[in-house]
Amino acid sequence: MTDKPDSYEVAVERLEQIIDRLDSGQAGLRETLDLCSEGRDLVTYCSAELDAVGEGLKELKLDELATKLASSAEPGTA
Amino acid sequence: MEEEAISAADSAPRPGPDLPGPFAVGRYARKLQEEMRRRARVLLVGEVTGVGRSKVQAYFELRDGEGAVPCAIWLDDLEKAGLPSGALRDGAEVVIAGGPDYYPGGGQASPSFSFRATHVRLAGEGDLLARLEALRKQLQAEGLFELQKQLARPLLPKTIGVVTAESGAARRDLLAGLERRGWRGTVVWAFAPVQDRHAAPRIAAAIQDLAAQPQVEAIVVTRGGGSLADLWAFCDETLCRTVAMLRVPVISAVGHERDSTLIDDVAAVACSTPTHAAEAAVRLDCVAARGELERGLASLRRAAESGVRTRTPHLVALARGPARALRRERLALNQKTREIRAASERGIAERLGFQRRLATVVLERARQRAAGAEMERRRTALHRVEVALRAHEPERTLERGYALVEDRAGEPVVDAAAAVAAGRVKLRFADGSVGAKIEEQD
Repeated sequence: MTDKPDSYEVAVERLEQIIDRLDSGQAGLRETLDLCSEGRDLVTYCSAELDAVGEGLKELKLDELATKLASSAEPGTA
Repeated sequence: MEEEAISAADSAPRPGPDLPGPFAVGRYARKLQEEMRRRARVLLVGEVTGVGRSKVQAYFELRDGEGAVPCAIWLDDLEKAGLPSGALRDGAEVVIAGGPDYYPGGGQASPSFSFRATHVRLAGEGDLLARLEALRKQLQAEGLFELQKQLARPLLPKTIGVVTAESGAARRDLLAGLERRGWRGTVVWAFAPVQDRHAAPRIAAAIQDLAAQPQVEAIVVTRGGGSLADLWAFCDETLCRTVAMLRVPVISAVGHERDSTLIDDVAAVACSTPTHAAEAAVRLDCVAARGELERGLASLRRAAESGVRTRTPHLVALARGPARALRRERLALNQKTREIRAASERGIAERLGFQRRLATVVLERARQRAAGAEMERRRTALHRVEVALRAHEPERTLERGYALVEDRAGEPVVDAAAAVAAGRVKLRFADGSVGAKIEEQD
């Protein structure tokens, strides 16, 4: 993959463009193979994004989030 | 009053601007009371805060988002209003009738201003709706309904913030909606009261705190249904202005479908239920998305395989190319060889023919040499005829100064009528030709 997509929606949009291009049958062999490679990378990225919100619901209260952020910031500031 | 003004302190210069007075303050206070009591009696609507009682009257502040007025009502008048017990309490929305009053105070008592209410009733839905409508028009005119709607909402947020009551069906319904979406990210709860008079500022503070967290990509504000009075906190002007100005999208799900609070107007999305709010916060159905990704991957595999498969015959043909090319060249070479052979055979035949023709010419010349005397005689006679003939050629005439008239086709024009008919003619002299135009016949 050349660049990581900015977001899930950007990745899905590009993936749809790739599949449309491949379905058109107008891509040459080199382009087809390049598009397939890029498409697989995008699918991998999207799967990872879905996995990130698929492992288990986490519930935090606002002050817990603030505490967590403060503690994670400490090592960097020390 | 002026005649009672205390005379200026004798010879001392007057401080301050040149105004009437000074007057005795007690009398001025009583005049002020009279002025106040002459003002028009009106109806006011607002929220009751700071209720207190003395032996003879109840006092409180009536306020809304823009300001407040201190109020007082005699206990007799309050009793006549027939309100349910405890109805005049903090947070109650009431309509009062009365006018401004001023208590001038006394020797020990402090002066005070108040709106003297003579009647009081709990605000009805109509009163609240009228206030809501006025506020709605105002915020809309300021463009505050559009700001949130212009924000980009993430398709798949990893963290969402939720403002709701800690206990309540809304919280449970929202979680169920997220579960149905197949979404199991992080929910950050900011619990706040959703009904009493402290609700609006607490809700506004909770939303602001959530928006300040960089991980929070969308905020849901939700509570269950109720009367408009119950939901009144969500029509608070300050709260709605806060929501409108946030850069994080806010999804409101307050009350039931028929309820329309002001926060619904300013939010990025207004939903009828917490379940719908879950779908608006996580726009992607994660379960369906996984299926679509599988199908996308299958499409890519098919495309790659097909891309190679459809080109295989061509590749095979290319691979066989050298043998076929050699065969083709060999055939072409054989053909050339045949052509060269045929050409050389033709050349030999042609050379034999040429030699035959040469021999014929040589023989003929030998024969002519044998008949030489007769030929010389004939040649001399011919020369004479030729000289005579040349004397008659037109060129000889032209050399003597005559001109030949020809038409455009080069045919001689031999009379005047033909010259006129030709119009344009060519005059041919011995040294060249010129064009001429026939104008008229003499």
